[in-house]
Amino acid sequence: MLERAGVPAVSICTEAFVVPARAMADAYGVPGFEFVTIPHPIASLAPEEIESNVGRVIADVVRILTEG
Amino acid sequence: MSAAPELPALDIDEVRRVMEDYFERGWTDGLPVMPVTESSLAEFLAQTNRDPGEVLLAMPHLNRECTVRLAAINAAMAGCRPEYFPVVLAAWSALEAENYVTRGIWQSTTGTAPMLLVNGPVRERIGLNSKGNVFGSGFRANATIGRAIRLTAINAFGLRPGELDQATQGNPAKYTACIAENEEESPWPAFHVEHGFAPGDSTVTALTMRSVAHIEARHTTVPEQLALDLADTIRRTGALIHETISACIALGPEHAHLFARAGWDKDELRRFVYEHAVNTREALAAAGKDAVSGKTRWRLSSAHAEAVPDSTPDADPVRVLGSEEAVQIVVAGAHNAGVSAVIETFGPRGGAPAIALVR
Repeated sequence: MLERAGVPAVSICTEAFVVPARAMADAYGVPGFEFVTIPHPIASLAPEEIESNVGRVIADVVRILTEG
Repeated sequence: MSAAPELPALDIDEVRRVMEDYFERGWTDGLPVMPVTESSLAEFLAQTNRDPGEVLLAMPHLNRECTVRLAAINAAMAGCRPEYFPVVLAAWSALEAENYVTRGIWQSTTGTAPMLLVNGPVRERIGLNSKGNVFGSGFRANATIGRAIRLTAINAFGLRPGELDQATQGNPAKYTACIAENEEESPWPAFHVEHGFAPGDSTVTALTMRSVAHIEARHTTVPEQLALDLADTIRRTGALIHETISACIALGPEHAHLFARAGWDKDELRRFVYEHAVNTREALAAAGKDAVSGKTRWRLSSAHAEAVPDSTPDADPVRVLGSEEAVQIVVAGAHNAGVSAVIETFGPRGGAPAIALVR
């Protein structure tokens, strides 16, 4: 939605939601939409664990923002 | 069925081929569906003067919508008789009015199901059960009207498990959930009359729900004791994702009459439950739910990094119902034991229920 409004964006979802995320992308007519995935879960993680997940995916976020 | 029933003769290969075809297309809830043809569909569409192309409910976030024709196809596949279709149409109106479905609740990990409550003369007309085994099996109208909603969710909106339906566990009512009020054995005005409809009107109420919790209370004739059993089930900390919840109490006729004999009407019971559906601060803290997240407003521990005080920080005990209207009351089941149920409806709200007229 943000990208359609001209704002570059990256969607991040946990591995548990990859299938529904692809289904939603299909429903919006962008079947090849690229996601960054992180391990599940997040709601019960400590702040340090969240930060370590960010460290693992930040390069992908930058890549999608600059290439995609 | 006897041990060796005489079975009707038909071309079983053809029937099985059609059944398998429906399964392969993904058009089922896991159980076989009734095949539909244009001619059988026409009988359903003849039950309403609404245009087959009229949109009943849209889910813009999925880019999908359900038309009268799609609803009729799925009602036929669910095994409805054509004369049930006006109830199915009213169910869609009630679900739209309830305003959860259009905001993606059927995709949520919570795994809610749409419980339908039917009132008025249509119950008798189409054989909807309001008495023994009201939440259970055995009655075609209840079974197939509820199933018509599920099959439409799957087929018109694409809400298949693991795809657009992300329910962590779901609940058994996702196959079908349609009850009728036992108006005849209720000591009080019927649910739809209480909400401004005429006794001769037939209505469908939509109750997006998470579970049906069983209440055993064969032990008492004291209304306060029974009401506390109900309130205790409603206030359980496991139900609290938000600060407040909502519920529909389905009283067995025996319990309804116990209250009525003591001079309680629905409003008095509602008020008592509202006052007593509470948790102490200590109980909330023990479950790690004594504060809320400053971001999501979901309950969490006051030790959590996102924790902020909840909206009633000085209250102890803390109410789980935001208003008296957050608890609805219906009478359902057989008049044969001290059994009731709490339908745990979804959402923090406490407004009027979503009721639609059967036309």
